[in-house]
This record gives sequence, C-alpha cells and structure tokens, in this order.
Amino acid sequence: MEPVGRKEELLRRIAVALRGHEAIKSASGATAGREAALSVADRIARFRNMFESQGGNFLAGPSLDPLLPELGEALRISGVTALFSPRGDERARLVAETLVPFGPFRLASPGEIRQLSAPSSAGFQTAEFAIAETGTIVQSGQKGKTLLPGLISDVHVAILSPAAFVDRMEECLAALSEDLPRTISFITGPSRTGDIEQTLTIGAHGPKKVIAVLLP
Amino acid sequence: MEPLSRFFYRRSEKALSDATLQASISRTTGKFVGARADAVAAFPGFETARDEGSRIKRETLDRLDHHLGRFIDEAERRGAVIHAARDGAEAREIATRIAKEEGVTLAVKSKSMVGEEVDLTGALEAAGVEVVESDLGEFIVQLAGETPSHIIAPAVHKTREQVSKLFVEKLGEPYTDKIPELVAIARRRLREKFLSAGMGVSGANFLCADTGSIALVTNEGNGRMGTTLPRVHLVVAGIEKVIPRLSDLPVFLRLLPRSATGQPISTYVSVLTGVKRPEDPEGPEKLHIILLDNGRSGILKGKYRDILKCIRCGACLNICPVYQSVGGHAYGWTYPGPIGSVLTPLMTGLAEGVPLANASTLCGACADVCPVKIPIPGLLLELRADERDRGLKDPAEVFGMKGYAAVMSRAGILEALERIAGVISSVFLKEGKAPWLPFRFSGWTDRRDFPAPAPQPFRKLWKKQRGIRPWNR
Repeated sequence: MEPVGRKEELLRRIAVALRGHEAIKSASGATAGREAALSVADRIARFRNMFESQGGNFLAGPSLDPLLPELGEALRISGVTALFSPRGDERARLVAETLVPFGPFRLASPGEIRQLSAPSSAGFQTAEFAIAETGTIVQSGQKGKTLLPGLISDVHVAILSPAAFVDRMEECLAALSEDLPRTISFITGPSRTGDIEQTLTIGAHGPKKVIAVLLP
Repeated sequence: MEPLSRFFYRRSEKALSDATLQASISRTTGKFVGARADAVAAFPGFETARDEGSRIKRETLDRLDHHLGRFIDEAERRGAVIHAARDGAEAREIATRIAKEEGVTLAVKSKSMVGEEVDLTGALEAAGVEVVESDLGEFIVQLAGETPSHIIAPAVHKTREQVSKLFVEKLGEPYTDKIPELVAIARRRLREKFLSAGMGVSGANFLCADTGSIALVTNEGNGRMGTTLPRVHLVVAGIEKVIPRLSDLPVFLRLLPRSATGQPISTYVSVLTGVKRPEDPEGPEKLHIILLDNGRSGILKGKYRDILKCIRCGACLNICPVYQSVGGHAYGWTYPGPIGSVLTPLMTGLAEGVPLANASTLCGACADVCPVKIPIPGLLLELRADERDRGLKDPAEVFGMKGYAAVMSRAGILEALERIAGVISSVFLKEGKAPWLPFRFSGWTDRRDFPAPAPQPFRKLWKKQRGIRPWNR
C-alpha cells in the first residue's frame, strides 16, 4: 500500500525546515472567557439566552405533563408524523410515547427513519451536556449511543436535566476525554445555510428545528 | 487547480465590469463585515482569545514535527490510516487508490479548501467515482462547472435567479426564485446521496495531536452526515492544521465562527476520533487521512512561517478593499484575498503569484481582523522585496524607484524637478489631470489620469508659512 517511509520523510522534511530558525518566545497562560463559575440557575439562563438567539426552542417545566401541548403543537406545525428515540434511552422514549396523543403522531424505529422514503420525523434523545457559554447541546457516541436523532430527523428534541449544564466548552470536552468516543457533536440551533445570496435559511441538511426540553 | 494568478490584472478588469458580480460581492462582504464586528463587540474575551490562538498556532508550527508526529501516532492507534502527500499529484494518486481499493463508486464531499487546492474532486471523477459536493454553495458551483470564489461562501458570485436556472437545467427541477424552496430542493437531492454514498470526503478545521481527533465546523450539517453515514471517511488536510491538544480547541471555536460569519459558534462542531467502535451503531469502518505538504514545509523554513497560522475564516477577504472590488476569481487560484496574496506566490511560485502581492494598498485592515494575528501587510512587503531580489521586477520600475529615492533624499534636486514639472504640466494638462504619461509609465494612465503637479509645490508653501506652526501657535 503506502510506499515505505513517506510519513517519516514528511516529518523529517519538517524537522529540517525548522532547524536553525528561531522559535518565538511568548508568554502563556491567558484563557479567554474564563470567569467565576455560575450558579445552576444562571447557567441555565445563559444557555437559554444563547440557544434561543441562535434559533433554538427552549421548554422547561416542573414536570413533563404541562409541556406536552406546546411540544406537540411545535412538532405538528413542522409537519412531523413519526416520533423515534434510540434504544436504551428510557427518558427520551417516555417523552415520545407520552406525546403521541398530542398530535397526528405515531412511534417509529430509527431504522425506518434512516430510509429515504421516511416520513417527517422528530428524534428524541437525552443530551449529555448543555454548554451555557455558547447555547450548545452536546451528543456523543459514548457507550455505543446513536447520533441519528440529532442527525437525520426533521425536528430534534433534546431532553436535558439540570446536571447536564456546564459553563464552558472546556468542561464538556474534559469530561468526555476520559473515554473519548468516536463522535462528539456540538449542536447549536437548527441546520442553516447562507449560501444563496447570504440569506439565512433554515434546514439545509440537518434538523429544521431543535427543541431543548429541560425536566427536573 | 491550475493557477492563473499571473493574469490578475486582466481578470480584475473583467470582474470590475461585471455588474451582477459587483452587486453580489458588495452585499456579501458588507454582511460579513457587519456580522463579525457585532459578534466581536458582544464577546469581551475576543482579544484575549486572539492572543491565545495566535500563540498556540505559532508554538505548534515552531515544533510541527513533534506535534504532527504525535497526531499520526494517536490517530493510527485509534484505527486511522495515515498517508503523507508531498504535493497535489501525490494526494490525487493516494485518494484515487483509496477509492479504488475500497470499491467506492459514489462519494459525498464536504467543503475543503485543500480539496480545491489539489483538485481532489477532479481526480476522483477521472477515476470513475461520482463525487457530489454536499455544501450548498459548493453544490451550486459544481453544477455550474465553476470554482468557489470565497473561502466560506463559495457561491457568493451567484444570484438566486442564476441558482434557480441551474437547478432547472441540471436537475430538472421546476423554476422557483424562493431561496427556502431552492434549499429544500438541495436538501432532498443530497439526502439521497448521503444515504447511499460509500465514502465521505472532508477537510479538517483542526487536527488534535494528543487524541488524533479531527474537528469539523459546519452550519448546514453536511459535514456530520458525510462523516457518519458512509462506510469510508477520507480526510485531506494540510500539515499546518495541527493543534497540540483537544483542550486547545475551544479557543479556536471562539475565534473562527465569530471571524467568519459573526456567529458565537457554528451550528455544528464535530470532533471525530478514529473509526467506528464495535459498540457504535454508526460511523465509518475505515478512516483515511491524507496529510498534505504541497510547499508548506518550505514556507515553514523561513520568514513566512506565520502565514501557516491561518484558520481560513475569510475575515481578511471581507474587509479587504481589493477583494471587495474584484471578488475571489480574479486572484486566479484556490485562496483569494489577502491570505491568498501571500499563500499563492509562496505555493505556486513567485513569478506566478507575485501580481497578487502587488495588488494591495497595505492598508492593514486584514491584520486588524485576523483572529490569529498574522502580519499580512508585512508579509506582502517581504514578497515584493523577494520579487526585486530575484530580478522579477520590471527593470524600469526598479530604476524609477531608485531615481525616486535619490530625488526624495536631495532637497535641491526635488525643488528643481518640481519647477520643471510645473512647466511641463502647463503644456500637457487637461482639466487639471494628465490623461497620459509616456511609455513605461503608461500603465498608470491606461486606467486613470495622473494627478497634475500643484502650481505651488508643498515645500514652497511650507517655507512661506513656516512661521505658523501648529505646535507653537
């Protein structure tokens, strides 16, 4: 396959190029955006602000029941008919199942949604982190988790608990680094493009709507 | 891609007389400049992040052999196959061999400037692979048989009507000039490809050395789909994309989207590490990473090292008065704007690319917005000096500049010449402007009038009024 030594040759070429040319000396240690840790309530408030300003929908309540009509309506106006959640995500499955009577909905399997002929779908999944700094939802493939709900559905419903919130990106990456999964996916609002006349248009390839549902 | 930078002036003239192009460029750059300024103003940590990003990038380059070696080891440990390409031809040969060995007939490609640089798509297509550009802008440009004209917005030179006509002609879709409908068409046509492609091709925004991870930043979601659904993932990245640690990534995520589109963060950031694990329900079984040199190790050697800090945000394009006037295609190669004016001569040869280094007013706006503080105007000046040292400058220009320097440092000669100029100009003047200059200087008056010498030279005025100095009024 690979001619022997191409990689070694590349590294050697770089080493030779660097020889005799002074490296810059600079101070180090500053870290932008570092500030005192926020309280959980402030963290959630900042997340909500950033998430909504980038096109995300945020729902929170003391329990699931009072949120169901609004969530159902949000999915219905997006044309969603099929609801799916990954195997093993009990919390997401419960939300999807409870929501069925609140619109023209039925439950579907992830396999069905992966087909090109799939109906308009909402994918439900428990999010691993929510980053306050940027208003970002984090899904990873850790421990064999699927990425399909946030990837191929028309509406992505991310279920959050207060413990999922972190202040900054660093904290989330550090936590995931211990057992680094194949994929870490930062999701901030719906899929968008500005490629035609620089006009912001929602729903390029990923979900057209992202709803964060915060439950205690 | 074949460089055409030596034709910069001719291509600029064409761009300047294209009214549609002029309208799209000014709309786009105006939007980007405003959005960036707002995003920076809303983030108090931006300057600190710039210092930090600049420092990390430079320190990484200063020990690139070490960091790249680490990246290779870590990525291989997690199942990646690493390929080193000395130049574009090697990259093309490796990519087509991979496609052949993996039995790929359809590939979906995310936007990659390095892919453009080596014409990866062309090579794969020549080898019989159908390559579909999945970034909407690139998809449009591919249908039109053109090349991108902006680093982050490839189709800025196209209007919605032009896009719609393309979709009618090439895809058989009904005509619509509504942008959401055009986007929906592309979504449907490309979803089909994502679900059936055997290989996803992408670039890399960052390569994290301590984990062997690839970081990809997109808004549309094509980058995630193309690197998650197909069986094979092929990455092509320049060797300068390495950052030492995964934990360095947030600094650059604070800089890149704000500088590029004015977003606090791009919609999607994917950190991809190795191949699909046994327990993973999706992800590529094979991961090939082509590390491209193509002249970069040569740039590393000398005084231009800082240009390799570039994170390809496009901020310097948007702010540049030259780019704002002529757009991306005039530059004649993959990288337009101020960053391209430095990279192109260094990567394609001074003789090819040096018109770009001269096509700058050195106003410094590019350096002001650069998120990693690349001193672009200084590098452009270095290139001009190299041009002279290698005898590539027009001897008349060198002679003229030497004469100019001699005159300007001798007050008596300057005064005498000013008088002569005053007399000559009274003969040749037309409405206070000189419409032409003699041969050798006619390049100036081809495009505009030369301003006439003032009837009273400044130095004479100064002498007359020297009693009235502003500082002892």
